[in-house]
Amino acid sequence: MSAAHHDHADAGGLPHSHKKAYIRLGVILTVVTAVELALPFLKDYPDIWMPVEPMWAPLLVVMSVFKFGAVVGEFMHLRGDRDIYKFLFLSPLAIAVIIFLLLGSLAVALFLPFGEGVAVTAVDVKSGYVRPTKSSGAEPPLAEDKFKAAFAEAKGKNFAPGKTVYDKVCKACHGDMGEGKAALGFNLTDDCYKYGGSFKDLYVTVADGRAGNKMPAQAGALKSEEIRQVVYYIRSLKGTNAPGGQPCVGDKVAD
Amino acid sequence: MSAQLAATDPHEVAHDAGHDHAGHDHAGHDHAGGGHDHGHHAVVENNFMGLPNIKLAMWAFLGSECMFFGSLIGTYFFYHGKALAGPLPATIFSIGITSISTFLLLMSSLTMALAVDAMKQRKPTVTRNYLLVTALLGATFVGFQVYEFSHFVHLGLKLSTSLFGSTFYVMTGFHGGHVTVGVIWLTMLAFLVHKGKLNPTKLPINVEVAGLYWHFVDIVWIVIFTFVYLLEFIQ
Ligand code: HEC
Repeated sequence: MSAAHHDHADAGGLPHSHKKAYIRLGVILTVVTAVELALPFLKDYPDIWMPVEPMWAPLLVVMSVFKFGAVVGEFMHLRGDRDIYKFLFLSPLAIAVIIFLLLGSLAVALFLPFGEGVAVTAVDVKSGYVRPTKSSGAEPPLAEDKFKAAFAEAKGKNFAPGKTVYDKVCKACHGDMGEGKAALGFNLTDDCYKYGGSFKDLYVTVADGRAGNKMPAQAGALKSEEIRQVVYYIRSLKGTNAPGGQPCVGDKVAD
Repeated sequence: MSAQLAATDPHEVAHDAGHDHAGHDHAGHDHAGGGHDHGHHAVVENNFMGLPNIKLAMWAFLGSECMFFGSLIGTYFFYHGKALAGPLPATIFSIGITSISTFLLLMSSLTMALAVDAMKQRKPTVTRNYLLVTALLGATFVGFQVYEFSHFVHLGLKLSTSLFGSTFYVMTGFHGGHVTVGVIWLTMLAFLVHKGKLNPTKLPINVEVAGLYWHFVDIVWIVIFTFVYLLEFIQ
């Protein structure tokens, strides 16, 4: 049985106050949180940051477990309380941790945006973009003249299938008209491309994703034909210069 | 077993005795477990182990909440990095705002602990004030969350936008819901203390139990803050 009942009644009948201990703990927790927060600022100082980086994630976990334990043990007073309470709380907590770890280890790509970790063959020197050996599950791009013929055909249908895909998937980052959004997605209505403006380039960009996964790979989500259709649609936006367009990143690509 | 428990636990005995003097409405209550009368007859809201049922129930409830939130947070990570549309966490999380609300919730845990402590010190007015401060801090936290959500929706992240949107909103939304319930609960307790319906000799356990709930909501946020927000900035 727990012998640690430190708030037993004293002579006056009042249990002694924990006020000081609580305030002390509040200060400690604040300091720990401040240390956790130092991270985003440290990144600006590579000299300090580089050596810390590999330890940082485990340290964050340790600090969070400490805070968790401190609140449960002291504020909730579980440490000095009856075993039955500990049992009621800690055994489901253990199950929760197991669920968490299982889900985590199942998700192989836990902190890796997918697309990374693929064997690489070519590095685009200009953009620094690392091109994966093969498109992540999508069909290989068509030859440029085949693309052109299919583009003409899609034009006959007013790019309707491509626009449907665009509105569903791309609009959130590239804007209603393709004008782009600050920090979210490039302008697709100018004549300027970072990763190339040919049909093949656009297809690879959309299928495999770019810049880590900031431009998310669509190969797993869309059929190859849908990717081609949306490429025709965004190609049709080229040069429309929608109002409020994001500034050019990359090079101008003539027709 | 239970006789031994009661005998070895001066705290609980003193506690029972406190209730004994306060409540005169015990007649007719069910003495569950019949033969376990330890000589104080005020075991009414206690179970056969001589422990307050309401506190046992709260700990059991919080245990189930661990699994509830554990699953929500685990699911978030299971789908992490697999969003195919819409903004991604690293681009939209604002560390500044989240730190402020984290700090508010942390401080509210402290004021909650002080509220419970003041009740044990027989200072109901102090308890009432700390309860109100706690509720206010919690309400501010919810306010920040409402702001954060509407900001994210404005940036194009809705519940149905992507796996990130769905898992993020469900997880943090349930947490915010818990905070909201807590704010209402604490406000009601503060009112009852103010009216004298709740005082150091009458059902003080209600404050302690609400405190358990409140601290739990805080630790859920400790986990979400570290694992969901802070780890996002390590690449
Ligand atoms: C999560 C937001 C997001 C979504 C959704 C998204 N993109 Fe992008 N896209 C980006 C970002 C960010 C970039 C710029 C990458 C960089 O920083 O280099 C980009 C770049 C591009 C580029 C390259 C432009 C250039 O200058 O070379 C194309 C083409 C493109 N996106 C098309 C699409 C299409 C088509 C869809 C829908 C299937 C789509 N994007 C969905 C964020 C997004």
